[in-house]
Amino acid sequence: MIIGIPNALLNIKYRDAIQEFFQNIGVTTFVSPKTNKEILDLGVLNCVDEACLPVKVFHGHVEYLRDRCDFILVPRIMKLQKNEFICPKFCGLPEMIKYSLDIKNIIAPTIVAYDNKTLKKSLYELVKPLNIKKEKFEKAFEAFKSNLYKYRNLDYKNSDLKVLLLGHPYLIYDDFINMNIIKKLKAFGVSVYTEDNVDFYDYTYRLIKKPFWTFLRNTYNCAISLIETGKIDGIIYVSSFACGIDSFSIDLIKKDIGSFPYLVLKIDEHTGEAGIDTRLEAFVDLLKRRAKNEYNFSTLG
Amino acid sequence: MNITFPHLGNTYIAAKVLFEGLGVDYTIPPLSSKKTLEIGCLYSPDDVCLPFKIMIGNYVESIQRGADTVLITGSCGPCRFGEYCELQKKILLSLDKDIKFIVIDEPAKIGIREFLNRLSMVAKDSKLSKAKKIKALSMAVKTINLIDNIEKECRFFAGFEKNKGEFARLLKTVKLEAIEAKGAEKTLKVLEEHYEKLKKIEIDNFKNPIKIGIIGEIYTIIDPLSNMYIEDILMNLGVSTRRTLYPSWWVKNTVLSGLKINFSKIYKESKEYLGLCIGGHARECIGEAILNYKHGFDGLIQIFPVGCMPEIVSKAILPDIERRYGIPILSLVVDEMTGEAGYYTRVEAFLDLIEGRKKLCI
Ligand code: SF4
Ligand code: SF4
Repeated sequence: MIIGIPNALLNIKYRDAIQEFFQNIGVTTFVSPKTNKEILDLGVLNCVDEACLPVKVFHGHVEYLRDRCDFILVPRIMKLQKNEFICPKFCGLPEMIKYSLDIKNIIAPTIVAYDNKTLKKSLYELVKPLNIKKEKFEKAFEAFKSNLYKYRNLDYKNSDLKVLLLGHPYLIYDDFINMNIIKKLKAFGVSVYTEDNVDFYDYTYRLIKKPFWTFLRNTYNCAISLIETGKIDGIIYVSSFACGIDSFSIDLIKKDIGSFPYLVLKIDEHTGEAGIDTRLEAFVDLLKRRAKNEYNFSTLG
Repeated sequence: MNITFPHLGNTYIAAKVLFEGLGVDYTIPPLSSKKTLEIGCLYSPDDVCLPFKIMIGNYVESIQRGADTVLITGSCGPCRFGEYCELQKKILLSLDKDIKFIVIDEPAKIGIREFLNRLSMVAKDSKLSKAKKIKALSMAVKTINLIDNIEKECRFFAGFEKNKGEFARLLKTVKLEAIEAKGAEKTLKVLEEHYEKLKKIEIDNFKNPIKIGIIGEIYTIIDPLSNMYIEDILMNLGVSTRRTLYPSWWVKNTVLSGLKINFSKIYKESKEYLGLCIGGHARECIGEAILNYKHGFDGLIQIFPVGCMPEIVSKAILPDIERRYGIPILSLVVDEMTGEAGYYTRVEAFLDLIEGRKKLCI
């Protein structure tokens, strides 16, 4: 039996951990390749028009895997934090896939993982039908846990200009959708931080209501922390059109940071690379000019 | 203190009864219009969903008329509605820093006590006794149920009426008179009288009108501006429509979910497709689709705003229901740029299709 793992959405971030987990319990996996033109087109063709780009791309990956493996893993990720949610589209992903692609052989474990116990339970439910021995599962689970943070080692060389690259992990890690933005920034001599390779603090006390979206909370906290501690010179927010969560995060941050350099890049399947390049270049120029100007005033007072 | 609140269908009538019953100052925002939407778009982020923009428009128009306290509902579902209040608050404060807010959350989330606590903030200015306050609240609940029932029946029986336009006229006058009436009791009386009148309107049981179920995102299908008056248009064409998601339904559902009772048939029907709540009202949309089919409806119109996350999931599922049950479904996606002409053409074409099918069947 081969289980296909679509290389999209949060699977991108946890790909290695997932793969090794299955290996440890003796199941062969097949990961779809990095997003490419063919996969993107498959996704756009088969998904509901109104969906956001990452969800469309996910559809493309599933369609690609369709005849290449026996089952396809389409996790239904409900919660990664207690009392928080991720996105309605993640919760309804298996249904979207099932009915839009008319595909029956999907495995759709419900993942509620806000602590060790719940994560373990979710994974156990997933492998239960396979009759795996308890010890084997325990071992695979431990390995899975220690692998979860592997992706953190994004190297970044230290340059004078530091930019925080915000956005959902599946936009940041998918070079095809984000048009190689990290590489491009590096070529401009900018060092890039992302949510995953910095530590940040909780600033949500500034909001009247605790956010219940994990993505929103992380993005907000990360941006405010790094600005407050003076670690960065600018923020670039990569977002996809029609993302309901970003429509809030982008503005919540904007309203809080005053005139701090902030570039929002929204992408969908029609976005041209040239336009993005021009805007990136202009933004980096702005940062360089600001760095030269010695007034390094704090924008947050 | 002068309280205002966003429009949601007929709630303004119930709010009027509540605040007049309590003796608290209030401002009803002008009925949502193109202008409301323009104001809303001006102050809202581009990408946010349509209901957000219209609500901002409502607040601003009310504040211009003297309101200083804004009542916001933040239901804590995994959808944007729950995140609204934060950003809305920031936007309004940037316009006028003295605005106050009362956030009403779902009792299921914050507990019944805290819920009542916040509700009582609304009545802070009222000098009435506790018993009178509770009476005002119960009158408001009665109002919303009554007016929603009147509207529901008008919209359904419009297809069966003997003299064209009677139900439409009644629906129009009842709302006008209710809002003109002075005091909570009088308002309620207007509603009761019209409910009696409604029962006397002559109906032709041999008619066989087109029957359409309206499903989709709750705000959009309740708010006539968002759905471009779809129900009025269908009513004028002699089409019977039904929609379950009314403010009164929402009240009932919210309270019951606070008591952890899952009462509705809707959830039973939707189970096969969507077993759990994914936020918004996607489950209700699917459940309603199937229920409407079982009740012999001829077609369904799903309406949701651009970028609406849960309804995109429903839209992916609906084609399967269409195939399996053989009920035509039209999905309409709206935002501030939706052109009227194209919208109405699609509705008309859809009605033609259903009419054709109906003739074939007989
Ligand atoms: S969080 Fe945004 S980008 Fe991600 S799936 Fe949801 S709507 Fe799409
Ligand atoms: S259900 Fe749709 S319209 Fe309502 S808040 Fe969520 S995304 Fe917006």
